[in-house]
Amino acid sequence: MGEMVQNLSSELAGIVESAGRWAVRVEGRRRMPATGIAWTHSGVIATASHVVERDEDLWIGLGAGERLAAQIIGRDPTTDLAALQVEGAELAAAEQAGGDGLAVGHLVLALGRPGKTVQATLGIVSALGEAWRTPSGGQVDQYLQTDVVMYPGFSGGPLVDMQGKVLGLNTSAMGGVSLALPTSTIQRVIQALQTHGRVRRGYLGVGLQPARLPKGVAEQLDQESGLLILSVESDSPAEQGGLTLGDTLLSLEGQPIRHMEDLMVLLAGDQVGKKASLQVLRGGKVQKLSVTVGERP
Amino acid sequence: MAGAQELLAQLNGEMAGLAGRVRASLVRVETAGRGAGAGTVWHPDGLILTNAHVVQGNSPWVVLPDGRRLQARILAQDRELDLAALAVEAQDLPTIEVGDSRELRPGSWVVAFGHPWGVESAATAGVVIGQGQMLPERPEFGRSWIAASLHYRPGHSGGPLVDAGGRLVGINTVMAGPDVGLAVPVQEVKGFLKRRLGGMAPDFQKVRTWA
Repeated sequence: MGEMVQNLSSELAGIVESAGRWAVRVEGRRRMPATGIAWTHSGVIATASHVVERDEDLWIGLGAGERLAAQIIGRDPTTDLAALQVEGAELAAAEQAGGDGLAVGHLVLALGRPGKTVQATLGIVSALGEAWRTPSGGQVDQYLQTDVVMYPGFSGGPLVDMQGKVLGLNTSAMGGVSLALPTSTIQRVIQALQTHGRVRRGYLGVGLQPARLPKGVAEQLDQESGLLILSVESDSPAEQGGLTLGDTLLSLEGQPIRHMEDLMVLLAGDQVGKKASLQVLRGGKVQKLSVTVGERP
Repeated sequence: MAGAQELLAQLNGEMAGLAGRVRASLVRVETAGRGAGAGTVWHPDGLILTNAHVVQGNSPWVVLPDGRRLQARILAQDRELDLAALAVEAQDLPTIEVGDSRELRPGSWVVAFGHPWGVESAATAGVVIGQGQMLPERPEFGRSWIAASLHYRPGHSGGPLVDAGGRLVGINTVMAGPDVGLAVPVQEVKGFLKRRLGGMAPDFQKVRTWA
């Protein structure tokens, strides 16, 4: 009687104990510390950008009670990720879950270490979805929503599956629901931060609004809508490329631009500095222009 | 898939069994002009444990699981710990099995019982978030709490928090946000009873009412 509940209980506590080694304390803001994930053996820590409020006087607390100085590698507010580096310590690096078998309804644990000891809450996967874009334009590889309680100081900590592997990084900063950033996104952002110190984004320097295309043009291009230019910043890549107010963007590098989302995807970081061919509708005629994609300041 | 469903059915069955055992010793504590809280039978001769803030120094009534409504005496209370021991004239009451809160670990399964919003003998389950004195939401308390991800509501106060074996590990005491409950660890309860009633002496009924 009651054996299974007790087994469940001790297995949960066992997962917390083992995965808790990867949950480190991040001291980087005036309020209470938050949590990070020990990402590599060589001392890279993944955490939430919003909990690292300063660039100096950063400290990492480990499970054994060690407290180590950390340097900031970089932060990407668009995905709410930051990477820190601790020196002179070998860390137990987080084991990542494959993520293939994950389904809505699966049990998950959120771990935090705002104090000396690891803390945990339990929930289920509430929703899974495709890649999505944060309101500030960050690219996230999978939508992963849970109902875990984000206790104070849990931001930046690991979301762990029932194999005790890390599924993602919990962030409480987005809209009141518990969202996790998947490990593939963490890996990609950390690599960008290590290479450039930031996540680069392509930039044209225009204000835009979706606009329906005239019937003839729509049929010719098999495209219903484009993006009407409402403003052009001075000295921007757009101005230098000859774009003007009233042009409607139709395509970039041959890829149709129907909505804002299309352009955001096409202006990925690796486009920075490259010459891109643009199709615009100007005075009722389709014209070709060439623009050197800038980097978003 | 059938296997998984069997496990869930078994889990549900065990949870229901656990709830049934705990509810046998779960009482309602009423005071005049105030809402009701919860309490737990600690000793079969009518020793009931609840929060001090549930009784507020008034003479409370206790409603037993069998429906009897009895006047209770306050034997002892400690407002700092938020604990109160009550006595009712009754014998052979089912008691709760007492556990050890020091064995809880973060992630341990716990179930809380009470009468949230007046709903009789309701259960809510969660896991231990952490334990100790350094809980971020209560910096003003230099004392030990169990924090659990549980939906405490008015009416849970004074009720039992049990572990996966259905053993008493804490007394539901306060909410700390909508999804976090704080409980007084049962180790504190043991200390309180020992100091104030001389342990679990069976002749507690002779103790004069504490005023």
